[in-house]
Amino acid sequence: MSVPDYMQSAEDHQTVLVVVQPVGIVPEDQFFKIYKRIATVSQVSIRDSQRLLYIRYRHHYLPENNEWGDFQTHRKVVGLIAITTCGSAKEWSQTAERFHGQKEVYSSTLYDSRLLVFGLQGEIAEQQRTDVAFYPSFEDCSDVEKRVEDFVESIFIVLESKRLDRATDKSGDKIPLLCVPFEKKDFVGLDTDSRHYKKRCQGRMRKHVGDLCLQAGMLQDALVHYHMSVELLRGVNDFLWLGAALEGLCSASVIFHYPGGTAGKAPGRKLSMSQAADAGKRHRPGAQEVLIDPGALTANGISADTSTEIGRAKNCLSPEDIIEKYKEAISYYGKYKNAGVIELEACVKAVRVLAIQKRAREASDFLQNAVYINLGQLSEEEKIQRYSILSELYELIGFHRKSAFFKRVAAMQCVAPTIPEPGWRACYKLLLETLPGYSLSLDPKDFSKGTHRGWAAVQMRLLHELVYASRRMGNPGLSVRHLSFLLQTMLDFLSDQEKKEVTQSLENYTSKCPGGMEVITLPDGLKLPPVPFTKLPIVRSVKLLNLPVSLRPHKVKELLGHNMSTASPFIYSPIIMHNRGEERCKKIDFQWVQGDVCEVQLMVYNPMPYELRVENMGLLTSGVEFESLPAALSLPAESGLYPVTLVGAPRTAGNITVNGYHTSVFGVTSDCLLEGLPAVKTTGCLVEVIPSLPRLQLSTSLPRSVHPPQPMSKEELSSTVSVQLFNGETQQLTITLENIGSEDIETLELTSKIVTSKQSVSLLLHKVQNFYVRLKKEFASIYSFIQFLPNGISVTGLPISSPLRQVLKPRPENKPVSSEPGKAEYSHIKTLEAVLNFKYSGGAGKVEGYYRELSLGVHVDVEPSVFFTRVSTLPATSTRQCYLLLDIFNPTEHELTVCAKNNQDLVLHASECQRMAIQVDKFDFESLPQPDQETARFTNPKQLQEERQHAQGCQINSKLGICWSIISFQRLQRKASVEGVLNQLVLEHLQLAPLQWDVMVNEKPCDCDVIADCKVGEAVTLEVKLTNLSKNSVGPLALTVVPYQDYQNGVQNYDLEDAVTFIGSNTFYINTVKPKDSAVCVGALLFLYTGDFYLNIKFQDDSAGRELPLAWFTLPSVHIKALDVPLQAGA
Amino acid sequence: MAVCIAVIAKENYPLYIRSVPTQNKLKFHYTVHTSLDVVEEKVSTVGKSLGDQRELYLGLLYPTEDYKVYGYVTNSKVKFVIVVDSSNTSLRDNEIRSMFRKLHNSFTDVMCNPFHNPGDPIQSKAFDGIVSGMMVQTG
Repeated sequence: MSVPDYMQSAEDHQTVLVVVQPVGIVPEDQFFKIYKRIATVSQVSIRDSQRLLYIRYRHHYLPENNEWGDFQTHRKVVGLIAITTCGSAKEWSQTAERFHGQKEVYSSTLYDSRLLVFGLQGEIAEQQRTDVAFYPSFEDCSDVEKRVEDFVESIFIVLESKRLDRATDKSGDKIPLLCVPFEKKDFVGLDTDSRHYKKRCQGRMRKHVGDLCLQAGMLQDALVHYHMSVELLRGVNDFLWLGAALEGLCSASVIFHYPGGTAGKAPGRKLSMSQAADAGKRHRPGAQEVLIDPGALTANGISADTSTEIGRAKNCLSPEDIIEKYKEAISYYGKYKNAGVIELEACVKAVRVLAIQKRAREASDFLQNAVYINLGQLSEEEKIQRYSILSELYELIGFHRKSAFFKRVAAMQCVAPTIPEPGWRACYKLLLETLPGYSLSLDPKDFSKGTHRGWAAVQMRLLHELVYASRRMGNPGLSVRHLSFLLQTMLDFLSDQEKKEVTQSLENYTSKCPGGMEVITLPDGLKLPPVPFTKLPIVRSVKLLNLPVSLRPHKVKELLGHNMSTASPFIYSPIIMHNRGEERCKKIDFQWVQGDVCEVQLMVYNPMPYELRVENMGLLTSGVEFESLPAALSLPAESGLYPVTLVGAPRTAGNITVNGYHTSVFGVTSDCLLEGLPAVKTTGCLVEVIPSLPRLQLSTSLPRSVHPPQPMSKEELSSTVSVQLFNGETQQLTITLENIGSEDIETLELTSKIVTSKQSVSLLLHKVQNFYVRLKKEFASIYSFIQFLPNGISVTGLPISSPLRQVLKPRPENKPVSSEPGKAEYSHIKTLEAVLNFKYSGGAGKVEGYYRELSLGVHVDVEPSVFFTRVSTLPATSTRQCYLLLDIFNPTEHELTVCAKNNQDLVLHASECQRMAIQVDKFDFESLPQPDQETARFTNPKQLQEERQHAQGCQINSKLGICWSIISFQRLQRKASVEGVLNQLVLEHLQLAPLQWDVMVNEKPCDCDVIADCKVGEAVTLEVKLTNLSKNSVGPLALTVVPYQDYQNGVQNYDLEDAVTFIGSNTFYINTVKPKDSAVCVGALLFLYTGDFYLNIKFQDDSAGRELPLAWFTLPSVHIKALDVPLQAGA
Repeated sequence: MAVCIAVIAKENYPLYIRSVPTQNKLKFHYTVHTSLDVVEEKVSTVGKSLGDQRELYLGLLYPTEDYKVYGYVTNSKVKFVIVVDSSNTSLRDNEIRSMFRKLHNSFTDVMCNPFHNPGDPIQSKAFDGIVSGMMVQTG
């Protein structure tokens, strides 16, 4: 006997073995159908005795094992059911012959046999035979079970007769010696008459009777016989049979203690206590000499006879004793090399009992022993079977790890190199079954919680084996999945070399079968969830990026307020919605625009020791239609955090949620959802997408500065232009706006803002406002143009001037003009910054109330050019004119030329200061446009005053037209401004007095250098005219004309009474002159001698003019040249 | 004397496992892993009967052809497993006990380290030293 039946259990000892076999040609499926039906008759209640007979069916049984039937009767084939097909009567004889042949095999032990013939009809089928049943077909055989029951009953009769026959054998008779096959030759020539031999025969026979009793359902009798047998055999040291007797004792006790069975397999074994008790009671009449009532436990639990209690307790082993006896029995079996199978089976049976008793540790000892039982040369298949059964038994006693270990060994055995056709499928299946034992699930979700904790080395080995087995099975998809799983979950435990190997083989596999995200379902229903590579690369944070400044949508204010009111009726509520942990769902407070490319920044990390190529990396989103633009990236080995920007464009408006990202690494595509990645930091993944808006592209004629030298303002700028200019220089800046979006621009609005130095603002602002007006005008035409061509271009020019203003205050008068320390003061660079904002909107976004803003920062560095360090006036000869004296300083390092209107150039070397005098007409500031009433009312007086001063400055500048140029630069002429240095005093001097005095000599206007000619002796008319341009009336005034002669040597002669006489009074009187009125007074003079005379017109009484500035009362001095009258005229 | 020494966490994952370099590491992993079955079994049965006070030393877990596996469970259910060569018959139970005690003391020191995170693999050099001492001594 070499093939152990690992499925055996203790209660199998009470069964009778029936072999069911096909004879001739029987379709396999049909055979098993019938076999199953037969097998349902596993216990038969015997009519008369009310005992139960248990039947074990086998469709395959080695005759070799049958030879051990005397040793343990449940190994004996006592029944044979042959199944055959027979098409015609002709074949019948042949079939019958075969049946007999089959019977021959088990003839030595067979009690009875049956032949089930299918398909035969007619004469032969009519005949009534007890051992043959005819059925027309496999379908039409309703009484198979009945037949089998009858058959079992007939077996029982034989069994019972044998039992009685053996049991009543008296000790005096010659008892045959029962032997196991390997013993036979040992007993040749033994003294059969010795007491020892007889005892041995007796003992063995007792044991045999015990077996029969057990099979016949007489448990208590069996116990008694076993006990007696043990006593007998112990005496003669017949260890093998002693073991068997002990095992029989154990089996009977197990059957008694555990009527539910130990194998846990038979649902048909539904023996209840009462049934068992009943059965015991009924068979009392047939009980043997040492009569023990087994019916101790009746249905109502009351037993009158105490002796039965004692008997039962004495005969039946306690659960602890069962194990002791098993141990003993096994130790006896162990003495015989040829009883290995018996020993192994006993171990298995004991383990099953221990499992029921929940004594796992002792069971493991039995199993440990079973492992070492050598059954000689085992076939590979037997080895697999043995390891599988060991695994199952370990599982049974709760040793999952051991179980997994043996299952794995079994799996490896399936594909041992000695096997010509390795069973990779079986191997794979067994390996899968080991997973729970190694606490490994194939769901990567189970590994996402923190660091992996487990037997990494062992688990990795198992995964490698799974990969290999699935590959050899010819299922590359499966191996890709397992390999991905290995890489994903065991990454931390792989060495660099292993990482390389794993990824290489993964790439090899995926080249044939790319890995995806679908769930793989195995034939046995196991589902392998997809393995997203969340660690290749590791993503640390996901950040949704706002659109670039120039493309950010803004909400029109009124609509915003409206929006807020709909969001919640409360302005503030102390109840905070429970959204902790819902961080990811938090809406981000910026918007994306439909159709515009949006960016999400991921901080990724490559944990691999080599470069990682990630292909097709894109975003997974939900909410709106989103066009993801996948990126391919290559991360260097062991890279630090590496920013990756994933882009895409939402195609519809609404709320978009970024759920995760997808990658393709080593040919495996993965969808990594953020919700499964608790380690990923994110600031929220929900963002609103608003309807599409147009896009303006701005370009300028000047180069853009990449980095603004300093933050210009709090708001970010879309672009900046940087210019470096000398003070007074003009630079043209052309801004080109182009609509590169798909939507028409319907509105465009321009505003400007000056960021620095309020002082220098106004001019630039002014210019921009001009531009705005101009743009608006142009806009209409551009607009219609855009209507047809979405990518229309609008071009407009904007002259930008650095302020024509002197920013420095005038230097104190007393300071030396060209002093060195002053240089540093002038040479610093002034920075001007301004921002131009273009607000535009259009398309669907405009309907929703959004607009975009494009802002251009203008950064001007102003270098100093010329400085007017001091300014003063000198009266000119004419009252309408005066001299402006400018101290001009050149702070540059270049040579400058300065010129004013109708003045010659002044060359200034570097850091040189020179004075320039310009004769200017006085200005009539009153003629400047006055601010209208409306604006005057709302602006503060100081500002108004400044405005006026500025206007005055402008007028002066334009009059003066001071230009400078740097000779070496070949630049055009630049303007310079004196505005800043004009103080009130100088202004007053420059101002044309509101009282205009005109002096006429001989009806010719006389001013400054005009020399009036007259003749001696002739009356000269002198007319003084006062025009009042001021707002108040002036006068009355008195004027006195005083003539004098200037000798040009500093002496002035006022004693001219004999040289000049007045005709009439030398005093004029002017009455009150109302505003915008004029008064004229006329007098006359008579020159008596030739010569140059001057007339000084003085106010006699200045009391009236006291409240008015003195400058208003400057009258031109009159120069008259009196000439001789020609003689003939005098004659 | 020992060929493999392992520390296993309460949740039955290895905190520390070290074996003699001459032999297949994986084999010892398997040995220790399967020994946990017995440890669990022993602990569960002992726990039932004795309540609070119990012997930490579990004794021989199971013998294999080549090795003997001994177990020890701390009160916090951290398990120590020592595998010794079967051929080493001179080794007495008391010596195994003292090895475990030493191991336990050293483990306690590791746990006292404020920078050690309980549940993380043990990387202490001192512990390593103790283990090496036990493995080398007579081996």
